[in-house]
Amino acid sequence: MACRRGGNHKHCLSTTSPSISNCHKLPSCSSRTHNICMVSDFFYPNMGGVESHIYQLSQCLIERGHKVIIITHAYEDRKGIRYLTNGLKVYYLPLRVMYNQSTATTLFHSMPLLRYIFVRERVTIVHAHSSFSAMAHDALFHAKTMQLRTVFTDHSLFGFADVSSVLTNKLLTVSLCDTNHIICVSYTSKENTVLRATLDPKIVSVIPNAVDPTDFTPDPSRRDNSTITIVVVSRLVYRKGIDLLSGIIPDLCQKYPNLHFIVGGEGPKRIVLEEVRERYQLHDRVRLLGALEHQDVRNVLVQGHIFLNTSLTEAFCMAIVEAASCGLQVVSTKVGGIPEVLPDNLIILCDPSVKSLCNGLEKAISHLKSGSLLSPEIIHSQVKTFYTWRNVAERTEKVYDRVAGEIVLPMGKRLDRLISHCGPVTGCIFALLSVISFLFLMFLRWLTPDYLIDAAIDATGPYGAWTQQYFRKKRETLNSNS
Amino acid sequence: MADEEGYLAVSGERITLQRRHHSASCREFLVRCPRLQLRSLSAVTCSVWLVAYGLFVLCQNSVVLSAAIFVTLIGLLVYLHFVKIDQESLLIVGSLGIQMTSSYASGKESTTFIEMNKVKDVVINEAIYMQKVIYYLCILLQDPVEPHVVSEVVPLFQSSKPRLDCLVEVYKSCQEILEQNKKS
Amino acid sequence: MVLKVFFPACCSLAESGLLVGRWIPEQNSAVILAVVHFPFVPGQVKQYLAEVHHVTQVEVSVLGSWTNSKQAKEENLGRFLEDLSTIFSHDPWIQLSRKQGSKFWSCSTIWKHPSGDEGDETTLVYYDQRKVMLSQLHPPLDSEVAAASSLDRKVENASRLMAMFNTVSQSKVLFMKDRYDEGPIKLTHWQSEGVEASIIVELMKQASVPACLLVTFLLSLVSRVCQSRALTFWPLSFIWSKLSTCQQLRHRLQHLQVISSPKKAPDQSQLMRKANIFVSILLDVTLGILLMSWLYRKNRIGHLANALIPMADHVAQQLQDLLQWLMGVPAGLKMNRALDQVLGRFFLYHIHLWISYIHLMSPFIEMILWYVGLSACLGLTVALSILSDIIALLTFHIYCFYVYGARLYCLKIYGLSSLWRLFRGKKWNVLRQRVDSCSYDLDQLFIGTLLFTILLFLLPTTALYYLVFTLLRLLVVLVQGVIHLLVDLINSLPFYSVLLRLCRSYRLASGVKFRVLEQEAGKPLRLLMQINPLSYGGVMQAYRLPTYSCYPKDSWGSLCKKLFVGELIYPWKHKGEKQD
Repeated sequence: MACRRGGNHKHCLSTTSPSISNCHKLPSCSSRTHNICMVSDFFYPNMGGVESHIYQLSQCLIERGHKVIIITHAYEDRKGIRYLTNGLKVYYLPLRVMYNQSTATTLFHSMPLLRYIFVRERVTIVHAHSSFSAMAHDALFHAKTMQLRTVFTDHSLFGFADVSSVLTNKLLTVSLCDTNHIICVSYTSKENTVLRATLDPKIVSVIPNAVDPTDFTPDPSRRDNSTITIVVVSRLVYRKGIDLLSGIIPDLCQKYPNLHFIVGGEGPKRIVLEEVRERYQLHDRVRLLGALEHQDVRNVLVQGHIFLNTSLTEAFCMAIVEAASCGLQVVSTKVGGIPEVLPDNLIILCDPSVKSLCNGLEKAISHLKSGSLLSPEIIHSQVKTFYTWRNVAERTEKVYDRVAGEIVLPMGKRLDRLISHCGPVTGCIFALLSVISFLFLMFLRWLTPDYLIDAAIDATGPYGAWTQQYFRKKRETLNSNS
Repeated sequence: MADEEGYLAVSGERITLQRRHHSASCREFLVRCPRLQLRSLSAVTCSVWLVAYGLFVLCQNSVVLSAAIFVTLIGLLVYLHFVKIDQESLLIVGSLGIQMTSSYASGKESTTFIEMNKVKDVVINEAIYMQKVIYYLCILLQDPVEPHVVSEVVPLFQSSKPRLDCLVEVYKSCQEILEQNKKS
Repeated sequence: MVLKVFFPACCSLAESGLLVGRWIPEQNSAVILAVVHFPFVPGQVKQYLAEVHHVTQVEVSVLGSWTNSKQAKEENLGRFLEDLSTIFSHDPWIQLSRKQGSKFWSCSTIWKHPSGDEGDETTLVYYDQRKVMLSQLHPPLDSEVAAASSLDRKVENASRLMAMFNTVSQSKVLFMKDRYDEGPIKLTHWQSEGVEASIIVELMKQASVPACLLVTFLLSLVSRVCQSRALTFWPLSFIWSKLSTCQQLRHRLQHLQVISSPKKAPDQSQLMRKANIFVSILLDVTLGILLMSWLYRKNRIGHLANALIPMADHVAQQLQDLLQWLMGVPAGLKMNRALDQVLGRFFLYHIHLWISYIHLMSPFIEMILWYVGLSACLGLTVALSILSDIIALLTFHIYCFYVYGARLYCLKIYGLSSLWRLFRGKKWNVLRQRVDSCSYDLDQLFIGTLLFTILLFLLPTTALYYLVFTLLRLLVVLVQGVIHLLVDLINSLPFYSVLLRLCRSYRLASGVKFRVLEQEAGKPLRLLMQINPLSYGGVMQAYRLPTYSCYPKDSWGSLCKKLFVGELIYPWKHKGEKQD
């Protein structure tokens, strides 16, 4: 395979020169390209916000001419190396999953593989995602030892009070204190992260998530206008406030006889909803759809009038943007970064309590009955302009450009930073660990020197096999059009 | 007819690739691994015996010593006969098929022959192996019922694991023969 | 397209003549079967080939000419050979020629309808006719696949070599013609040399038919007795299904029925199966008789019987000591005294009963052993099964203790788990097989708490008894398991196939391998085809005889879970049956 690609590559090079004049029509390549490695425990086939963020961002970066690879852990039989659309290369590493799709961390056992991949793919920037992902933190740690530039994106909010958050926050402090740049998805998230990890706010940027507006288009004909349908699409877990939902459903169903609920998603809290349904005999009015594929979400959304989000904590809620893009009136809890996401005329914000949410929903229903809601097309055309992945990629690229100009802290300074920044006990422990990791890296370099590692054949990036094909195809279509 | 070149294996060992062109549609590739080093052999033997001697000093039982001798002998036999592969060869005959042979250090040979109508393609693939990500050459077998489905992947040069530059050489020659075969 | 010529190695020294064989057009290959020498009458050759075709259903025809030139009269011979191609019309006409003292042959093909590609390459493949004829390619073609490929002619993906192998093995008749036969046609091909031996084989074949009939008759008698009503009513049939001896005997009976059936085995695998069963039974009986001869010498049975009773006594005594220990303060644990005493007394009484039973039996034990020992002549496996049954009977008290302990423990665990759910305000919903939330009254909660406490504090006592007896039970199960493994091994090992692989490795082929022979530029490529024998693992996989016992389906993890929850465990055999 690889060679065949190589062959194509040569062929393309020979044909590029005459038609260089067309190049300005292509997505403008920035002056410098990076070899970016995205690391996270969460990636497809797992479903969620982080997963689609990584995928879409990577696709847009590839379009802008960067080389992007993704490292995640193996999902059941999905092990090894796979290529996705446009030559996005994904390493599914055989690491043991510990809890909630997150790998166990020992800080060292993943190092040989990660180092091998970083070397063979000639990675220049390591971009880790999600603070829940142990693998992301491991990769940051190793990348810093290997003197690579690091970027971290935080996708979630966290408390400060309970034991688990105290521990996680300490870990985050250690992990982020010498990271080059941090990206948050909303200003609330930025505040939260800066506080938790005691960071300098200057190295924290805010780049929101985005949705693909072409995937989420309204379709009012699918609605059943004789009834009012409320749609909930989320994983059925505690964080998403399913207990609140189980309080809302019976109250409102008693009040409005033509009210229906559609709940999409799967999780441990599903049983709560099933019990509510059985206790109040609501089988015909509450539909539980179970796990949804990403492409089915839109078909579920367009069946409803009102979208309800009951999250208890949320950094940036992609679900409400998707719903608004489908033209639904959104009712949501006022937590985390949600107030920043949509303008006030598109969303009804409530406190995270059953009563307040019921009031919000009643308000939405009365709007709906009086016909004072905006029509789905208008909502869609408004939302369409807010968040696009191209924009996200552009802004992320700027972060990369900035990071590429910075220096990675050398070992001595790194130790100083760890000890001064993370408290005497933790700092010393992690300083010791980073010294051990440095020695381990030395040992690995002695065992398999860098020159023995075959450089991988690029799939994407300036010399990538896929890029050539992609550009050639574009050029052909352009030529045929003109 | 036959030319020989030195390459490196993934582990850094020196291997030699020998190419023999028997005819236009028949080629043979031999990958020769380094032979068993006297140095490593004596090191292992000495360490086993030293450990045995240590045990003997501790428990004053001479059975330990004789057991150690047996263990080294049997271990060496097993290693030479079942583990250590000296040479791997790949024979492609355009009209017949592909034959893989691995010769063990003891002289034992194990051969597998795949008929040409079962071979879908020969490709270079990537895999995660131990704590490494390596390239390897493999044969894709066709599913007998659905011709577009790959039913099995047979890796080549499994024990020597040559690096990419060596694999590309072999790959190109294989593709030439496969192309010829497809044309006719 | 490359032309392939499969040439028998034994014909390479034959005198000049005609090449006789089969042309396989879809593979563009020719399988040469024999060489017809000069002089011959073309009409007779054609007639002979037609006869062969009629008998073997293989399309045998004259494919070309063969020249083994020793003298220098080539010119006129060459012209003569070209003339031959007009007599025996075949497309393509293959001309092979060999020069004296030269290893390299030249080959030319003449196509009647030149298709344009004149630069045809030829590959000569030498094969050993005898080995190819006798060998059996693995895996054998399934009947389903064969049917599918015959339905869909285009998918001719069944092994190509299979066609070549079949051609050679089907034309056995061709090879029957002896070198010394006087006839109009002289052929060179492989010839068998074992005519004398085959006479003995013929005699054996003749004799085996009445023997088989006799055995079949006896077997049908035996099986009818076994199936008679008197032996199959409820309690007896239950006992039969539990005794491993009966299972083994039934299994062997089936085997005997298979090998004594006078029907001819339909295909190779059935034939191998019969042979394997035969050798397995033979070996089994031989081992059994060896064991018997050892047992009945020097009054070993008597010694055994004398040793058995004190052994049982000793075991009982040990158990009693163990129980006494448990009734006190075992390992410094403080137990619930009342429950401890009750359980201990109960078990002690059981042991007492058991000892008296054994003593009642003691005068007869030697006699029983003597008769049981005779069963070894039916085979080692039967003797081993009987041993397993005797162990099961002698350790019946351990089994009883284990069941009591397990039931008690299981009840407690079950009660504790449901009461624990009650604490958390949940209950098990039987209809939906899930845990629902449920609000309880104050009374219910009070009673539940009370019961929970009682059960919790009594649990250690029960758990200790359960633990000790489970360990004993596991020991017995382990011993029985090892015996059953041994029996299974003898039952299922394909001895005949393994012997065949050892002595005639080409008979079981997993495929072929090629060796490139020395060659010269301009001459055709020469390959030597050899048989690649099946590995021993492959032999085992292909010819393992099915056995009646099933291996444990649950893994170690589920076994541990079962032990923890207190479910009963059984020896590895008849898992499905015993559990109900």
